[in-house]
Amino acid sequence: MLSVHNRPPKIQAIAKQEFREGVRVNVSVLEALKPLRKSALLGIIGIVGIVVGLKINAAYSTHLKPVQPIEFSHRIHAGENQIECLYCHSSADRSPSAGVPSVAKCVGCHERIATVRDSAEIAKLNAYWQAQEPIPWIKVHDVPDFVHFTHKRHVLAGLECQQCHGPVETMDRIERVADLTMPWCTDCHTLNQTDNGLDCYTCHK
Amino acid sequence: MTSINRRDFFKFVGAGGAGAGAGYLYAELVKRPQELLVPQVVPPEDYSPGLATWYNTVCNQCSGGCGISVRIREGEAKKIEGNPVHPVNQGRLCALGQSGLNALYNPDRLKTPLRNNNEGRFQGIEWEEAIDELAQKLNESRARRQSDRVQLLTGNIRGHVNGLIGHFMEWVGVASHMQYDFTRPANLYEANQLTFGQSMLPYYDIRNTHYLLSFGADYLGTWLSPVHNSLGYGHLRQGQTEKRGTCIQVEPRMSLSGANADEWLPAVPGSEGSLALGIANVIANGHYTGADQAEWANALTTYTPSNIARLTGISEVDIERIAEEFFTNASLAIAGGAATAGTEGVATHIAVNALNYLAGNIGQKGGVIFNSDPGFAQTSTFEHANYQQMITLAEKMKNNEVDILILHDTNPIFSMPSSSNFQEAMENVPLVVALSGFMDETTAMADLILPTDNYLESWGDDVPEPAVGFSVASISQPVVSRLYDTRSLGDILIDTARMMGTEVSWDSTEAYIQDVWSRIYAQQGGDPSGFDNFWRSALEAGVWGQETASTNQGSTVKPFPVNQLSDVSNKLEGDESEYPFVLHPYLTLTFLDGRGANLPWQQELPDPLTSVVYNSWVELNPGTAVELGVKEGDVLEVTSPSGTIRAPAFIYEAIRPDVVAMPIGQGHEQYGRYAEQRGVNPIDLVVPNFDQRSGALAWAGTRVKILKTGERVLLIKTDGITRTLGRQILGPSEAEHG
Repeated sequence: MLSVHNRPPKIQAIAKQEFREGVRVNVSVLEALKPLRKSALLGIIGIVGIVVGLKINAAYSTHLKPVQPIEFSHRIHAGENQIECLYCHSSADRSPSAGVPSVAKCVGCHERIATVRDSAEIAKLNAYWQAQEPIPWIKVHDVPDFVHFTHKRHVLAGLECQQCHGPVETMDRIERVADLTMPWCTDCHTLNQTDNGLDCYTCHK
Repeated sequence: MTSINRRDFFKFVGAGGAGAGAGYLYAELVKRPQELLVPQVVPPEDYSPGLATWYNTVCNQCSGGCGISVRIREGEAKKIEGNPVHPVNQGRLCALGQSGLNALYNPDRLKTPLRNNNEGRFQGIEWEEAIDELAQKLNESRARRQSDRVQLLTGNIRGHVNGLIGHFMEWVGVASHMQYDFTRPANLYEANQLTFGQSMLPYYDIRNTHYLLSFGADYLGTWLSPVHNSLGYGHLRQGQTEKRGTCIQVEPRMSLSGANADEWLPAVPGSEGSLALGIANVIANGHYTGADQAEWANALTTYTPSNIARLTGISEVDIERIAEEFFTNASLAIAGGAATAGTEGVATHIAVNALNYLAGNIGQKGGVIFNSDPGFAQTSTFEHANYQQMITLAEKMKNNEVDILILHDTNPIFSMPSSSNFQEAMENVPLVVALSGFMDETTAMADLILPTDNYLESWGDDVPEPAVGFSVASISQPVVSRLYDTRSLGDILIDTARMMGTEVSWDSTEAYIQDVWSRIYAQQGGDPSGFDNFWRSALEAGVWGQETASTNQGSTVKPFPVNQLSDVSNKLEGDESEYPFVLHPYLTLTFLDGRGANLPWQQELPDPLTSVVYNSWVELNPGTAVELGVKEGDVLEVTSPSGTIRAPAFIYEAIRPDVVAMPIGQGHEQYGRYAEQRGVNPIDLVVPNFDQRSGALAWAGTRVKILKTGERVLLIKTDGITRTLGRQILGPSEAEHG
């Protein structure tokens, strides 16, 4: 570091002058701030506005609970009728992906359920089946592609589906309750002292 | 603080509102876009989302016959690997095999039947209509009893699909089925027929030999079964307990195998056979003690080391040393590539066979092993078309003697010299039907195009040739469902025959193959009720056959027909004073004969020796380049008596000064977006001479001259420079002793 005294004489002189004037500058900064108080308030209001905006978005956005192509109710299926999760999401205990039931599986049951056969939503299902087209469900639970999440490990470790997916059996329209962020994952991994649960390569490979 | 006035109030409200808006928008912006979770309508068998299944089948990217395992997830092929239990490739796979996915998912695949509307445009039509049109024309021809005016021309098809083709020919009245494949070693087949009485390829046991002498055969790159050869090479170098094997490579331009050899001998191009006979002469006169020694010595009198040294440029000392090493070690001599693609290709192969005979390599471990009978009959209602037959076909077409030409998976317009006028001849054929996967140069000439399945979508079987020393067969099965409205070759033939009113007892290629195998199964003494199990396990394993001790060691070796030895000096087309350089076209392991040029992964793959990507180039010796004042990237005009092409220069240290080399494979006019308008095709320079005995094209027998055009381009390559610049990366002392 160069000290003032090490500089050549001419520069030393200029530096000393700067030093002396500096005191005066400091005083004038305080004075100059006075008319800025209003602007500071303006800034604070702006920032509060941003936070309010984020909250409004979170409150009114439907991305945690999107409207699905068919108003499928987990409350009726998993709640009232007590169908096992794995009956439809059948690969959850042996594959990274839990899987959604094929259209054939839905129709396979509903053909035989006379009470709801003619309801509007089942009519939609039948329309997909007749057209032999898949139902374009909207994904509610999703992690980024750089996360290697596997259902199999979690199911085999004895976790209840509800621990991550919430009380699905009470939901008419499926909703995401967990935020599925990395701290949310690692909190659980820490709490349960999972083997290699905090190793980067466990999830990012 | 001063009081808030009206103007300030509005400012505050504005700031709050803008902030809230910005916050809301930000939250919207960072949200991940909504994805869909699309289920199957009806799930396929053993399907579970997120889990991969591996299905075994056979690679069809070259004629090596490797077994492959394809990783399938959600019904889509994701990755191709070698099948670990297949004896040809033992779990390994080359780049071309890996690129099979590029062929499957290629955006330029033909997806629907097309008809040429005579204005050079193709229009999509329905399958029914297309098959009906073909059936009608075949019916007319059958009614006129003109089966000899219908020609079936396919690429290399192996296995029992040929049997189905044979049935089809009978049903509909087609007299001739020819298979044309540029890479087929026709001269080797012919030479083996003449010397060993077997026109099947024997097993060249590179794995167990101690001394491998290769005359131009790039066994690590393109020769016969490169993946199997590479496995053998690995064992030859590092797996043998007795000795680290030695490799000698004779070729004017260093190939991948040359670069991996202990010694690279750049003999005068076209004199490789003479060198083999020179070595044979030394062996016959000093080492060989067989009963027919005198006969050999007599036949080889003119091939003295001094004569051969003058002819080949390889010193007498080297010839005598190699002869001694070749005789005293467990050795193997092979030949291929440009060395056997001259006017005397068969003679060169015979000379190399003679070397193997003299050194006692026939039927020995580490030598040339003849295959045992595969145990079941293979159909041969077709003939392998050599170049000469293709010229005859072109003549016939030109003279309006062919009414219907049915093509499948072969591209003679690209792989025959343009001077052979195959394209012009095809224009005279009233109906050209192409059963193709891609719009290549030959398919583009068709009147009717019936799109065929990718090999990953179709049924078939294969008996690998060259075999692996014991009999092996593999059944290939579709590993994915059809992506487009395509059909397999066999299915099209069955459909056409049915449309013509023939009773066909098989519904599909699958049924036919299964039927054939049930008969083979019964023939092998299998219990009929167990066939389903057999079939399932054969498909599961991807290979059928058992390793047996089949080296015919000890069995008597038939005496070599010494009278088959003949003049081996290849004739080079072009006057030396006008055309000072010999053109050395070579097959690349990326494109082979050009079939791989539409695969983007192959286009991106740098050539292993020059590291050039995406283009064609002309390899010149540095000395020659200085003489001509040529630098890398200078566009050269290469002229032969047959034509002229332009390509940039690449200065290559490992090539003879009187040779220029060019890779084959680029220069497509048709064949999809990745292949078109990229580089040039050196086959167009070849003067169409052929070997008199096999009729194969002498594609390495042309002289050329070189002219600098003054244009320059930047060659795209991954290498910097080949010199070490004093960095002591590989000093001479290390190279010699290390």
